[in-house]
Amino acid sequence: MIISKKVEFSASHICRSPQLSAAENERVYGAAANPLGHGHNYVVEVAIEGRPDPVTGMILDLKRLKDILEEKVLNVYDHRLLNREVAPFDRIVPTVENIAIDIWDRIESIIDLTGSARLYSVRVHETSDLCAEYRGGK
Amino acid sequence: MRVRLTKRYTFPASHRLHSPALSDAENRALYGKCDNPHGHGHNYEVELTVRGPVDAVTGRVVDLFALDQLAEDQFLAPFRYRDLNAEVDAFRKAVPTTENLAAEVDRRLRSVWRGVFGADGPDLEKVRIHETDRNICELSDYE
Repeated sequence: MIISKKVEFSASHICRSPQLSAAENERVYGAAANPLGHGHNYVVEVAIEGRPDPVTGMILDLKRLKDILEEKVLNVYDHRLLNREVAPFDRIVPTVENIAIDIWDRIESIIDLTGSARLYSVRVHETSDLCAEYRGGK
Repeated sequence: MRVRLTKRYTFPASHRLHSPALSDAENRALYGKCDNPHGHGHNYEVELTVRGPVDAVTGRVVDLFALDQLAEDQFLAPFRYRDLNAEVDAFRKAVPTTENLAAEVDRRLRSVWRGVFGADGPDLEKVRIHETDRNICELSDYE
């Protein structure tokens, strides 16, 4: 069984790779390559797979999941310029794909510690038209 | 490091659900209002899910502008503001249900996919079409 929790944060980013020329960056990222940055209201959906506990009827304590997301994701990402203030985006481009992978890496080991629950997927909506999903590489 | 990237597109179009293999009474019973001979329309939403590794330099699973162009050429331009029954060849025979529309979008994309993205490029995992907020059909490669 899978249960999902949704949280939101707002952040700015610059989609430019130092390994690409100015023209190549414009071609790959379009307006998102603006060196001054731009922002989004990101929506993150975290899906947890597991069996409901026979006593509580819950796969995991959703309050605990909320606290984990607050501490490990929102405190790090919310109202930040991702390229400057959130590792690893000083090294890699903060595309929605890389953000989904980074959020997975920040929370996976912690969620695994609680009962039978394990992280199934992280979905990050950058706009209502664009979403990346990471399932730990599967 | 496989990631799934979903991009959403939208187009308005009209259609009529009516099978020549059924009687008028059977069509009316099966499709109800959707059998209206004058047709009716929807704001269709199409979600394409692309699956692949994240490029180490660009941080992208797929060239989004290439995907947009493909969507425009293969189904947005041909379907936008069209009468699907009268103006799209596939629906002169098949009834333009959400199921058949998803299959047609999938067929059109796959017919040119490897030519655009290459043999080692990302995979088209899923085509999901919302006819309305409450009527959704999804076709995936089931990997």
